[in-house]
Amino acid sequence: MLNNRKVRLMTRLAIYEQTEGKEDVRISKYFQTDYVRLNVLKTVVAITVGYLLIMLLLIVYHSEYLIREAVTLDYAGMLTRYVGIYIIVLTVYGAMAMIGYMIKYRASRKKLAKYFRMLRRLRSLYREEDGELADLEEGMISYDRDNT
Amino acid sequence: MIVTILELRAHILRFLQKFQLVVEPVVKFIIAFAVFHSINKAIGHHEMLMSLPAELLLSLLGTFTPSILLVLLAAVVSLVHVYVASPLLSILVAIIMVILYCFIARFSGKYGYVVLAVPILFLLKIPYVVPLILGLIATPMAIIPAACGVIVYRLFVVISNVALVEESMGIEDILLMYIDVIDRLLADKQMLITIGVFFIIILAMYLMRKLSIEYVFEISIAVGAIVCILGFLAADTMMQTEMNIVSMVFGTVGSMVIALVFQFFRLALDYTAVERVQFEDDDYYYYVKAVPKMNLTVPKRSVKKISEKMEPLPEEEETEADESPVLSDEERYAMGEELDDEPYENPVGENGDSFGE
Repeated sequence: MLNNRKVRLMTRLAIYEQTEGKEDVRISKYFQTDYVRLNVLKTVVAITVGYLLIMLLLIVYHSEYLIREAVTLDYAGMLTRYVGIYIIVLTVYGAMAMIGYMIKYRASRKKLAKYFRMLRRLRSLYREEDGELADLEEGMISYDRDNT
Repeated sequence: MIVTILELRAHILRFLQKFQLVVEPVVKFIIAFAVFHSINKAIGHHEMLMSLPAELLLSLLGTFTPSILLVLLAAVVSLVHVYVASPLLSILVAIIMVILYCFIARFSGKYGYVVLAVPILFLLKIPYVVPLILGLIATPMAIIPAACGVIVYRLFVVISNVALVEESMGIEDILLMYIDVIDRLLADKQMLITIGVFFIIILAMYLMRKLSIEYVFEISIAVGAIVCILGFLAADTMMQTEMNIVSMVFGTVGSMVIALVFQFFRLALDYTAVERVQFEDDDYYYYVKAVPKMNLTVPKRSVKKISEKMEPLPEEEETEADESPVLSDEERYAMGEELDDEPYENPVGENGDSFGE
């Protein structure tokens, strides 16, 4: 016999799993610190690449001046200045990324909590259906395995 | 009059729901074709890419792949065009695109396609539609992809001005051209003005639509349009740009109309997305097609008694009032009737969603 309430619930679960849920489940495999750290690291790499490219453009832009003044340039001063700017940019971006990804992680966690509430609801439907806890535990586990 | 329009909307939505499987790819194809065609028209140099079969083929590719690939394809096609005109410039453009991605675009989140939409809509003379719609649906963070789009557009405007002058040249001329491009880009007041005004529009509309007043979305669109016109006018008088005021005003009005149409269908469209899922339990395989109920379609007419003194009855609009944007988001993932006793939670991600990759 088809249980309409169950089908409805399972459909909702499946829709979530196929849309937003995918991303949420992927994120949920990390601890918050790991997730944030990984993404901050990605940001650091991206900023470094971007900064190096900007430096490249700058060097080509000023190449005439650089070649002309090659002997008299204050290399140490220039290095300090550009590394300083780099560190400032990196800090700002790193902090922003940390906050941003933390918010994202928590948001995804909340959505996932809703999903688990639905799963619990499904579990209680099973319980009503079978009246047996043992079966249902097994069913839940296999359902989890298949769908998450 | 209103009833006719509402019924028309109901018909259109029912049609879309019925033929969603067909309509979706067709719409995607049209968008992809518009993208490639306008790129070819704006900076077309490569003969083969400009031919109709190539355009159709690329559009077809864009139809059946995720939308992020369309953005990538568009970038590659534009780079090829620039490469044919001037290989060196194309390297410069590629580097600038990578820098843009590293610093800005990677944070645009689910609004990544806006980067592509802005230049295309600029070519169609209605770029103002972007902030007006983002103001309706997104947080102020959405300025990130919008700004990116503006930068890309201005970059190509500058490039196409320079590329025309270019002929066979030595290494010194190339350096001079390069310096010229960078100078022009950095001195581009129009770019900064546009980004600034777009940001003010999105922010103003975002703050507006948080107010709890009637017709808040329509009012926000009007406010956004006014901010747009005033902002560009003020910037124009203060900074002496060579902007075409008339086209700006008409473009804004046109964009406002598009945004209003979008708003008219938006909440309903959220509802019409038919979901097809399959799953199994111990006894059955389920192939479910979940069709959302459209409870806003045919407006109920209520009879107002005016002979007695009493509380005014809910008006016709009330049928629509119960699908506020919060609910429509909620509806698709809500636990439904079984869980109505659960405390209601705000849909998360209003702030967090637009951030990240």
